Amino acid sequence: MLRYITTRFVVWIPSVLLVMLGVYALAYYGAGDPIKLIFLRAPGDVAYNPERIEAIRESAGLNRPFLVQFCSYIWNLLHGNFGNSLSSGRSVWAMISAAAPVSFKLALCSVILTAVVAIPLGLIAALNQNTRTDYAILGSALFLWAIPAYVAGPMLMVLLIMVLPGSAVPYGWGGVFDVRILLPLLVLSFQPIALIVRQTRAAVIEVLSEDFVRTARAKGVPETMVALRHILRPVLTPVVTQLGLIMITIVNGAIFVELVFGLPGLGRLTVQALTNTDYPVILAITLIGSFLVMISNLLVDVLYPLLDPRANDTRRSR
Amino acid sequence: MSVVPMTTTPIEIEPPVSLWRDAWHRLRRNKLAVFGLIIVIVLAFTALFGPYLTPYDFLSQDLNGRNLAPSLSHLFGTDDLGRDVFSRVVYGTRTAFLVAIVVTFIAVLIGVTLGALAGFFGGFLDKAVMWLTDMTMSIPNLLLVVVINASLKSPISSWMEARYLATLNPFYRETIWVDFLLVFGSMALISWPPYARLVRAQVLSIRSRPYITAAQALGLTNRIILMRYVVPNALGPLIVAVSAGLGTAMVLESAFSFLGVGVNPPTPSWGNMISDGLRVWQHYPHLLAAPAAVLGLASVAFSFLGDGLNDALNPRGAK
Amino acid sequence: MMMANDIRPVPSAASERLLDVKGLTIEIETRNGPATIVDGIDLHVGKGETLGIVGESGCGKSLTMLSMMRLLPNKIRVTKGEANFAGRDLQKMSNSELRKVRGGDVGFIFQDPMTSLNPVMRIGQQLAEPLIYHRGMSKAEARKRAGELLKLVGIPGAEDRLDAYPHELSGGMRQRVMIAIGLACNPQLLIADEPTTALDVTIQAQIVDLVKDLRDKLGMSVVWITHDLALIAGLVDRINVLYAGTVVEDAPVDALFSNPSHPYTQGLLASIPKLSDERSARLSSIGGTPPEPGRRPKGCPFAPRCPLAEAVCHERVPSLEGIGQNGAHRVACFVAQRKLEAA
Repeated sequence: MLRYITTRFVVWIPSVLLVMLGVYALAYYGAGDPIKLIFLRAPGDVAYNPERIEAIRESAGLNRPFLVQFCSYIWNLLHGNFGNSLSSGRSVWAMISAAAPVSFKLALCSVILTAVVAIPLGLIAALNQNTRTDYAILGSALFLWAIPAYVAGPMLMVLLIMVLPGSAVPYGWGGVFDVRILLPLLVLSFQPIALIVRQTRAAVIEVLSEDFVRTARAKGVPETMVALRHILRPVLTPVVTQLGLIMITIVNGAIFVELVFGLPGLGRLTVQALTNTDYPVILAITLIGSFLVMISNLLVDVLYPLLDPRANDTRRSR
Repeated sequence: MSVVPMTTTPIEIEPPVSLWRDAWHRLRRNKLAVFGLIIVIVLAFTALFGPYLTPYDFLSQDLNGRNLAPSLSHLFGTDDLGRDVFSRVVYGTRTAFLVAIVVTFIAVLIGVTLGALAGFFGGFLDKAVMWLTDMTMSIPNLLLVVVINASLKSPISSWMEARYLATLNPFYRETIWVDFLLVFGSMALISWPPYARLVRAQVLSIRSRPYITAAQALGLTNRIILMRYVVPNALGPLIVAVSAGLGTAMVLESAFSFLGVGVNPPTPSWGNMISDGLRVWQHYPHLLAAPAAVLGLASVAFSFLGDGLNDALNPRGAK
Repeated sequence: MMMANDIRPVPSAASERLLDVKGLTIEIETRNGPATIVDGIDLHVGKGETLGIVGESGCGKSLTMLSMMRLLPNKIRVTKGEANFAGRDLQKMSNSELRKVRGGDVGFIFQDPMTSLNPVMRIGQQLAEPLIYHRGMSKAEARKRAGELLKLVGIPGAEDRLDAYPHELSGGMRQRVMIAIGLACNPQLLIADEPTTALDVTIQAQIVDLVKDLRDKLGMSVVWITHDLALIAGLVDRINVLYAGTVVEDAPVDALFSNPSHPYTQGLLASIPKLSDERSARLSSIGGTPPEPGRRPKGCPFAPRCPLAEAVCHERVPSLEGIGQNGAHRVACFVAQRKLEAA
């Protein structure tokens, strides 16, 4: 198993390196001179002092060829040095480590909420296939899937303020156990929930037509136990494999949700970095996002044999 | 084994169109899908003819009638420059369809080509394509594309500006094409992997099906097998994916605008209208609600339609 | 071939009926409205009797037995008739009452043991379920009994196999597990739905012999559904031949083989290859196909394919009439019935 994990990690490295090379190239060739970018935004007229710019450029090592700069960036990364932000001058690592816990906690809560809400709903929809219950659940799921977070967020805020006139605007971050987390968590989980409801429903419908479900009924197993033991178990396998996809949805969604609700997480950091063309920060966030998705996919692969005993044999023989 | 002479007795076989006719029957019975289809048709009609039918020009400003609430003369009210929001939403439909269709077309083209090549030839090519697909899918793609867009936009714009000043060729003035090109390109760049995966999986599974072996045993040429067996079987799932993809592309475009890298004003797009509306939604909720509702409606319609098509074209799963 | 029956007294036709199906009509919902698949079928199984139900695929053999127990998807429904089991009408039972019958008084074995066993559940757990839900056993008791059951159906190293998953067993072993599940609560009736179709020929005979042994040991009734007449000849007491959802011939097994009276039965028997046949001889087959549900002919459903069909066959539906063996041999065919009157 350890070897398997190592292999996955080794395969992941070249792809993430390629992506970072791409982003780095964009920064190098696309965004224009980083030094000018800094100083054009800074107060004062230093931007038009070419000698000073050259001096800074040389001290920052920005006059070296592209590949040398990239390799040195990676080298620094390997030593835990993410560089400094172009806009604030703070260490990128400090910025990330301040923002990451907020996003990770939110993402974790969202995954849990998704599992708790979406799997039972999908099961109920499938068991009542083509009835009103099914249409209501499926329709809502498709609806939630289609509403962007930056639309759902403000709309819900308006609604909340209208319904509870005395309540404060749910803006800002107070930790996982703060009421203010509820709205952003809900909005962030809309798409994952919609995804998993549909996945679960489809998987349950497929399992329902399996012979072993008929066997369970023929044995006289009560319907609730048929649903829980015979239907849900095999359904969990394909649903859990969607974890990676959910992670991507959450990482993408966090960008909007954190912005709309003013949460000091990685998503908001991303948008700030984008507006400031702050490449060291963007690069670090790309790396973290990609790492997160890779880990989720890895987790799925590790969990898979536990959920489906048939996979165990093929895995071992591989 | 003796050769049995072929009988010429006509055997009652359902005509081959029945798959599609069947699918159409199933689709029609699905209320949500019919709802989706109707909305999509109305929106497509709006995109084609809408701009000629609206009472106001989407650009004409009326500074005396700014931020008006919805009324009979302005169905969705007016914005901060006194432009008619309804006309802008209608024109935005055209932008949305343009973006959705072009992006999906490019993505399908890339995806189908790569997927089919990978599925047919296997080996190294397959590995390479799958690696590329996995890589693109395992990266928070929105972030990547926004980075690409944000970094390329300003250099291209300034290059265009410089060209215009140098040549005075009005072509270089039309930055709208740069917008579109960037939006199309970067969106297609992250949208193709699902199509590639789908087509590859279809080709692989169809290739190993007994009926293909049977067709080969009958001595049919590869071309006929491809056209009569592989394509029709792979087409169903692809249609489903495209239908869902169109809706996703529309939402993606608005996400781009929200992050400030989408189609630039003054060209109306639902995305930049939403993004403008978000700044003032506490005071003028209609500026956010109108484009957001239409975008939501379009997106919901496409996903209903896609879902209905899925059930209609996969009779096994529909049951 | 038929000597096997001598081991055990053949239950007489007059013995008490355990299962008595009367006029059961089954419909399926289609795009064009409901279509009748089984039209007023009558059949019965005596206590301790073994009934073979034979017919082509799609003739409604499994459908009748499974829909009677509400084991089929909702769009297939019993619309008319009754199915009395031990004196109670299954159709009038609530779902929870019927659940107590399923797996308790009536055991099932299904066609494909690979798909009929839950792939992600251990054999022992699957075997324990009926014991827990019908006998109220604790998990430990159920596990002990499950081990005994595996031994009963002849699985070597039975106790060690309790923790195996279905994919770790061979096809024949899996079907033995299915049988153990079907017999877990000592049912009065075992319904075997083509249990050998998915198995190798050599395994088929083993499974038939196993069921025969267990039946003799436990004294239950058996309904064995199959399309393979030859396979069950040594197992069953009586055979019902089904065509297009109706019983066309009902006869004790010996009488059916010695004096097949319905043209369809004759066709079925003729299509069994015999060793005495010359190698070049073509197997006989019945031309045409059975009617589709919803497109049943007006008269005898077999008339369009029947070599002996007369004008009356296309007009009226023949009823099942006794033609011999003191009424134990019955046939639904105008031609066969007239032949008897003439004799």
